[in-house]
Amino acid sequence: MDIFLQQLANGLTIGSMFALVALGYTMVYGVMKLINFAHGDMVAASAFVGLTIYTQVLGQATSLIAVIAIFLLSAMVMACVGILLERLAYRPLREAPRLSAVVSALGASLVIQNGIMLIWGPQMRIFPELVPQVYWDLGGVVISLIQVLILVFSLVLMIALYLFVEKTRMGAAIRASAIDQDAARLMGINVNSVIALIFIIGSSLGAVGGLFIGLYYRGITFNMGWQYGLYAFIAAILGGIGNIPGAMLGGMLLGLFQAFIAGYISSTWADAFTFILLILILIVRPTGLLGERVAEKV
Amino acid sequence: MKRTFRNILLTLSAITLMAGLSWADTLKVGVQAPITGSYANEGQGIEDSVRLLAAQINASGGVMGKQIEVIPCDDQGTAMAAAICAKDLVNKGVAMVIGSYTSTCAEAAQKTYFNAGVLQTSDGTADSLTEHGYWTFLRNSFPNSAEAVFAANYMVNVKAYKNIAVVSDFSSYATGLADAVIAEVKKAGGNVVTYAKIKADSQNFTPVLTNIKSKKPDVIFYAGYYTDGGQLRAQQVALGIKADFIGGDANDNPDFMKLAGSAATGAFIINVPSPELLPYDVAKDFLKNYQATYGKLPPSIWTLMNADGMRAIIYGMEQTKSFDNKKVADFLMSMDKPLPGITGPLQFAKDGNRIGSSYMTFEIQADNSYKVVHAQ
Amino acid sequence: MKNLARLGFPAFLIIMAVLPNMLNSRWQAVAITFLIFTVVALSQDIILGKAGMFNMGQALFFGMGAYITAILNSQYGWPILVTIPVAIILPALFGVLLSGPIIHLRGDYLLVVTIGFNIVFVQVVQNNLGGITGGPNGIFGLDSISIFGKQLTDQLSVYYFAFVVLLITLGIMRNLEKSKVGRALHYLREDQLAAESIGINTRIYKIFAFALGAGIAGLAGTVFAAQYSAVSPEAFEFIQSVLFFSIVLVGGSSIPGVLLGVFVMFVLPEIFREFATWRFFIFGFAMILAMILRPRGIWPATFGKIPKFLIKESNHGA
Repeated sequence: MDIFLQQLANGLTIGSMFALVALGYTMVYGVMKLINFAHGDMVAASAFVGLTIYTQVLGQATSLIAVIAIFLLSAMVMACVGILLERLAYRPLREAPRLSAVVSALGASLVIQNGIMLIWGPQMRIFPELVPQVYWDLGGVVISLIQVLILVFSLVLMIALYLFVEKTRMGAAIRASAIDQDAARLMGINVNSVIALIFIIGSSLGAVGGLFIGLYYRGITFNMGWQYGLYAFIAAILGGIGNIPGAMLGGMLLGLFQAFIAGYISSTWADAFTFILLILILIVRPTGLLGERVAEKV
Repeated sequence: MKRTFRNILLTLSAITLMAGLSWADTLKVGVQAPITGSYANEGQGIEDSVRLLAAQINASGGVMGKQIEVIPCDDQGTAMAAAICAKDLVNKGVAMVIGSYTSTCAEAAQKTYFNAGVLQTSDGTADSLTEHGYWTFLRNSFPNSAEAVFAANYMVNVKAYKNIAVVSDFSSYATGLADAVIAEVKKAGGNVVTYAKIKADSQNFTPVLTNIKSKKPDVIFYAGYYTDGGQLRAQQVALGIKADFIGGDANDNPDFMKLAGSAATGAFIINVPSPELLPYDVAKDFLKNYQATYGKLPPSIWTLMNADGMRAIIYGMEQTKSFDNKKVADFLMSMDKPLPGITGPLQFAKDGNRIGSSYMTFEIQADNSYKVVHAQ
Repeated sequence: MKNLARLGFPAFLIIMAVLPNMLNSRWQAVAITFLIFTVVALSQDIILGKAGMFNMGQALFFGMGAYITAILNSQYGWPILVTIPVAIILPALFGVLLSGPIIHLRGDYLLVVTIGFNIVFVQVVQNNLGGITGGPNGIFGLDSISIFGKQLTDQLSVYYFAFVVLLITLGIMRNLEKSKVGRALHYLREDQLAAESIGINTRIYKIFAFALGAGIAGLAGTVFAAQYSAVSPEAFEFIQSVLFFSIVLVGGSSIPGVLLGVFVMFVLPEIFREFATWRFFIFGFAMILAMILRPRGIWPATFGKIPKFLIKESNHGA
């Protein structure tokens, strides 16, 4: 039982990181019907930006305020990069064939990933130990401070986002644009601002996810974006792409799935099982767990 | 059209000519190392030390009058890139290749060098490297089997651990070391409770560690590389697994401490003596020059092992007064007196293995320094 | 444009036929790589460009062919050339098996599933399934090509092997365009609904395109294994599939476009060493720019002999 609960805790921790990143995919897809392949690399970039802010701007100060400053500054930087990405790589292609936008997104991914490599080098960079290694033994299940922080922060952010989208006027504009951009425009919604807003929110949440990865695992590499991006993307599809609560659910489920597969079956087959699960879901229920059945536009 | 075609032909023939006019009177030394990728700091260390040695030798007149030209190739720590590097270096006409850092990459390139008669010296410790019977291969470190004997003796007899867990990744080095350690532990009467494998670079090792925890081991022996080792140790401590942690030789890298953070304290690492512990004059000289040239110390002992491999081959050339690789290899594998090396006396067995090993167990202190707790 | 195509194509073939004799072994190796990746990109073009299916897993079939050759050669001692039929047929069969259940998925979903296939494949060979794939190290030390028991160890023979494979592929592409199948694929890519309503069995044709593309990629895999006398999992990671996918679309799904894409991606970095570290960065920018300026690709394909006035500026991809 201990083992089961321990795997559950492990799974929820990585699941909440997946969920944060998945939100960025799902929101962009919801409104633009575009897989933002660059999102995973944005997540990786935020870890590097955060590390640089820590060493260069904050002069390696370790305190709670420093940690908060890293999160805020990185999220701001990444939000700007996100807006820039949308303006330069996606907006000119909004009327173009679907595949052109996909290629542009892949190109943006290569640019960001290799931009990281050119700026910070190809070798692994290592995050300082900003969160003290404190852990509690709850009757056989050990939970560390950083795990609790990741879980709590992710949940708070996700609930806040959910309330924002469901309860505010701006949220209503996002939902309207997701259903029908033209109709939304006729209702007086500035779809361009909505898309900019989505990139700001998605990139900042991704930035938080990237920093969690840096703080939790410590080692960051320029090409880690693909790995986390893919998992998060699968999480988004699992929950039903375009659906915000779906991304949260998908992220958590994927985290748990991976932890249990690795724990009980084989850690070396975790990726294969994850993708087999994804393929099965797409064959049986292409709209994901929470997605509505809508006719697919091509 | 016609003109374009002629221009293309002209350009092509120019390229061919330029490539043909190779500088025939240099001694080409290839470096095959992971200059980028996860093990980049080791790879760059190897390249740096080869360049330093080459500069020193060139300054004192070269090798029998020939200046050394260093040709690096980045194998990224992956077998495929290593195979490509091997072809590339052979095509460029190198006489010897220094590296690579990982056994996998050295092994992937071995046959190509053997077919071309190019001498290869690597710190790869996998036993399989010297089991193919390639006369072109010289191991400048000591094989896994030697380390396994030391590690098993340390765990079973010195520390008297009752339950031993072994972890490795999938590389030929790590699986080779893990298999050898398990065999030696069993031979010494120890008990291996579990043997787990992790996927290198996958970062999240908690599921595997949680399983290990349920087996209640006294010690976790990790046979893989430092990039995963540091994270494994950190996650082990975070999961409250009280077992000791012993890392194999490839964990001997400053990044291990950085990755593990405060969890590094108390971890053990088994390796040959680290650079600053080397008592030899050659070593002190080389380290001083390295520090002066690059402003830092070599990343690990492996850099120096590879430098020693290069020194040995050049020594062989000078002693046999020949650039015939077969003669040089025969000489090196039958020297009766060892060559004083940076990492200790250099002498090779007939199969290309380096003779004479001396392992140590280090305990990582709170200030990230090593304390020698056991020596062979 | 037309003249250029009429003259350029034979000129290209003649240059490629005599080229290796003017190159030293290093550039011969680069030229072989160019040929191999061109074949894979063309095979990707059959699935993505000609049949319009968003396939981002082409490295899977490429890798499967390479692994089949490597395994048959290293484990069972088959000569490299003898492995060719297996290296074509097995990937083609897998193409049918894998595409069968997913062919109805459209657009992005198909893309994601094919990425998934690719990743599962890499994991399978990494985990050394059945103890024959050599795990993460792969398989090295394959024999050289041999004809009638004679070993051809020099690179020229590999080059001409690759060149013949390219010629075959080009021949297939040409026939495809002129055949009933080619026309059917063209219609169903332009408008699937209309194609179905005039009686084209889209499912069969799509699966056929998948099988054909997979078979050709498998053959390219054999050449790859022969060239490096080694295979290993990371050569067939899905990032490679992403490259093939992008090369086809940026090039515009035409033969000159594909050649250009492969040249920029795999040959330029060899010419300009400094460019090697920058290549993905620059290629990424080029992808974005190409799509903004020419959404249908740099050198868009034209189909058959349709009079110009009949071609409407349509909105389909590449």
